[in-house]
Amino acid sequence: MTTYIIRRLLLFIPVLLGMTIVVFATVALSPGGTGASLLAREGGMDPRARKAIEAYYNKRYGLKDPLPVQYFRWLNEVSPIGFHQNEDGSRGRFGIKMPDLGESLVRHRPIIDLVKECLPITVLLNVITIPIIYVIAIVAGIRAAQKRGKFADIGMGSVLLGLWSFPQMLAGVLAIGFLASRQYAKLFPTNGLHDLRSGSMPFLPAFTPVGFNPGWMLDMGWHLVLPVLCLCYVSFAFLAKLERGAMLENIALDYVRTARAKGLPERTVLLRHVFRNSLIPLITVAVNILPALLGGAVVIESIFGIDGMGKLTVDAALMHDRELVLSDALVLGFVGIVAYLVADIAYVLADPRVSYD
Amino acid sequence: MTNAAMAGSLAAMPGEAPRPEPAPSPRGLARRAVDDTLASWRTKTGLAWIAIVAFCAVFAPFLANSYPLAVKMNGNWSSPAIKHLTPVDWTLLVVAFCGVITLGLSRLTFFRKLLVLLLILAVELPLAFLFVHPPIVDVFQEYRDLQRQGRLQAVIGCPIPYSPTDRLRDHPDARLTPPSREHLFGVDMNGSDVLSAMIHACRIAMAIGFISTGIAVVIGVVIGGLMGYFVGWVDLFGMRFIEVFEAIPTLILLITFVAFFGHNLYLMMAIIGLTGWTGNARFIRAEYLRLRNQDFVQATIAAGLPLRSILFRHMLPNGVSPVIVSATFGIASAILFESTLSFLGLGLIDEPSWGQMLNQAAGVSGTFTWWMAVFPGLGIFLTVFAYNLIGEALRDALDPRLHGIE
Repeated sequence: MTTYIIRRLLLFIPVLLGMTIVVFATVALSPGGTGASLLAREGGMDPRARKAIEAYYNKRYGLKDPLPVQYFRWLNEVSPIGFHQNEDGSRGRFGIKMPDLGESLVRHRPIIDLVKECLPITVLLNVITIPIIYVIAIVAGIRAAQKRGKFADIGMGSVLLGLWSFPQMLAGVLAIGFLASRQYAKLFPTNGLHDLRSGSMPFLPAFTPVGFNPGWMLDMGWHLVLPVLCLCYVSFAFLAKLERGAMLENIALDYVRTARAKGLPERTVLLRHVFRNSLIPLITVAVNILPALLGGAVVIESIFGIDGMGKLTVDAALMHDRELVLSDALVLGFVGIVAYLVADIAYVLADPRVSYD
Repeated sequence: MTNAAMAGSLAAMPGEAPRPEPAPSPRGLARRAVDDTLASWRTKTGLAWIAIVAFCAVFAPFLANSYPLAVKMNGNWSSPAIKHLTPVDWTLLVVAFCGVITLGLSRLTFFRKLLVLLLILAVELPLAFLFVHPPIVDVFQEYRDLQRQGRLQAVIGCPIPYSPTDRLRDHPDARLTPPSREHLFGVDMNGSDVLSAMIHACRIAMAIGFISTGIAVVIGVVIGGLMGYFVGWVDLFGMRFIEVFEAIPTLILLITFVAFFGHNLYLMMAIIGLTGWTGNARFIRAEYLRLRNQDFVQATIAAGLPLRSILFRHMLPNGVSPVIVSATFGIASAILFESTLSFLGLGLIDEPSWGQMLNQAAGVSGTFTWWMAVFPGLGIFLTVFAYNLIGEALRDALDPRLHGIE
């Protein structure tokens, strides 16, 4: 198993490089290439601003160099291991450094700062969502498998497929429209993660002479209810269907017959024997769930106005902030690859039957 | 109890020799899978909805159009609707017409039919752009005004007498009105009829699903086929290539592409195809790994057939079934991706699309217009659901374990 994990870690490197190539190729092959925003705004810029941007691009990509050289120059800037750059632009010593994701030319801020603000929010959304998805999906899947072929099972199958097909943006828009808008029930907040007054709130909820103060924590929880619900249901439906299939597949196997022949109660057979084995495909698809969740966060963050990576990327694309889109794709791709690696290793740990060749 | 049931219970009576079951007529797995799929209620429901969407897509200019189907003016009949058909409208109508005829011909194989249709499309499209020149300026209220002035002797209007881009300049107070008898699904904030825009948006939904999935299947089959056939270095390299594309969230990759390449429907199709091939490649690879050691493949190699022939003529028909299932789900997810992009404001600007309409539901002013959310949203949901239903039925039909074969 150790060899498998080492092998997997080594294969992580080419995948990471491949991802950077895909992202860089998108920029380099697009109309105008790496320096396109120079061309696009040539007329409207005063010479000094133009010079500054040109200097920025030249430092970052070396616009006069051929594409492969531009790629390696950019890769050196964004990677945490590489050549330091001296003040005069010449190459310094090789070592660990702070990755430089460039600067947003629209927001006039270093992109790494923007990512530092936004990434934790997206990760928080996912960290809350994943356990909820798995718990509900497992319970629902077992229930459906227990009642195989009965009305409850077939009904649930169709409902799950329906949920899986239900567009997240429709769910988000309906949730905001009917549950949070002023025209209908104003139960939930519509926007953001915090109330405007949350800065002056105590951390925990409390009863004050003025009235009930929800506190910073509860306020955020209340803001998170609708986004998390909208983020959950698609993956939940997918996993519940999978769990049901895995349970049924295992129930037909010999070891279940043996367990039943021993006289074990049905409950023990299902929960102790079948259940454990049926979890393996769920761990496998964690690989596919994570990128899907990151993608879903794009929609949900945009609808609910949460300042995470998804909203940052969409806003950047809408404002033609090319540098920011490029770096966001890079960061999210990196998160995706790491999630991939973790899920792969978890899979090996969970199922000792996996071949390590 | 019916006769058949009585006969059945009699046959099962103890002591009596069980009558031999009539042997089922020999059907191949493919034939049986198609039959089973078509027999399932899921497929019927799904196909019914897709047929409605396809009908709307082809006949959109005759279903919802500000120009009447026929008018009688100064004693002469004319058809403003036909006069205003664009080259794309003509192409769709001709190809759909030929499609129905070709599918009716049972002599040809499915592949040949597809080839014939593509040929017709290739001939039709340039001809349509050469010879069809609709008026450049659209004056949607032209015939409404003429009718109001009483200058038309007879008018046969479309079922929904509004074009999707008709902003109802002659009725500025109609903006954002809820569903009424005149506008069944309401009016959006620009003054366009929602039902009309939804009917015209069926085109994007149909096109994006089929074309992008077509691209994804072709890329997936070629790369997956090469990986499964050659194994070794090709396989190792291909697998990393797949992982690269799977690790970047597809939506982010799509947004990146759109941000750098611009808003363009054909590009969007190509990009959804370029990012969606990995699942197909994995399936084909797994099938080819299984097939490559079988006798018939060894025989084709021994016979000295070219690689193209081995891979696609002999191995592909034996390994294609998981790809068919995943392609059906792929169509559903392509439609979802397009509507998500349009919803985020990164889709087409001048063409109506369900996602873009949904975006207008929660307006800038903070008001919620439920008819802009519910109707286009249901359009997306039902179409995606229909494809997923068919996909599930197909998967069940192609799963040999459910037939007790193994």
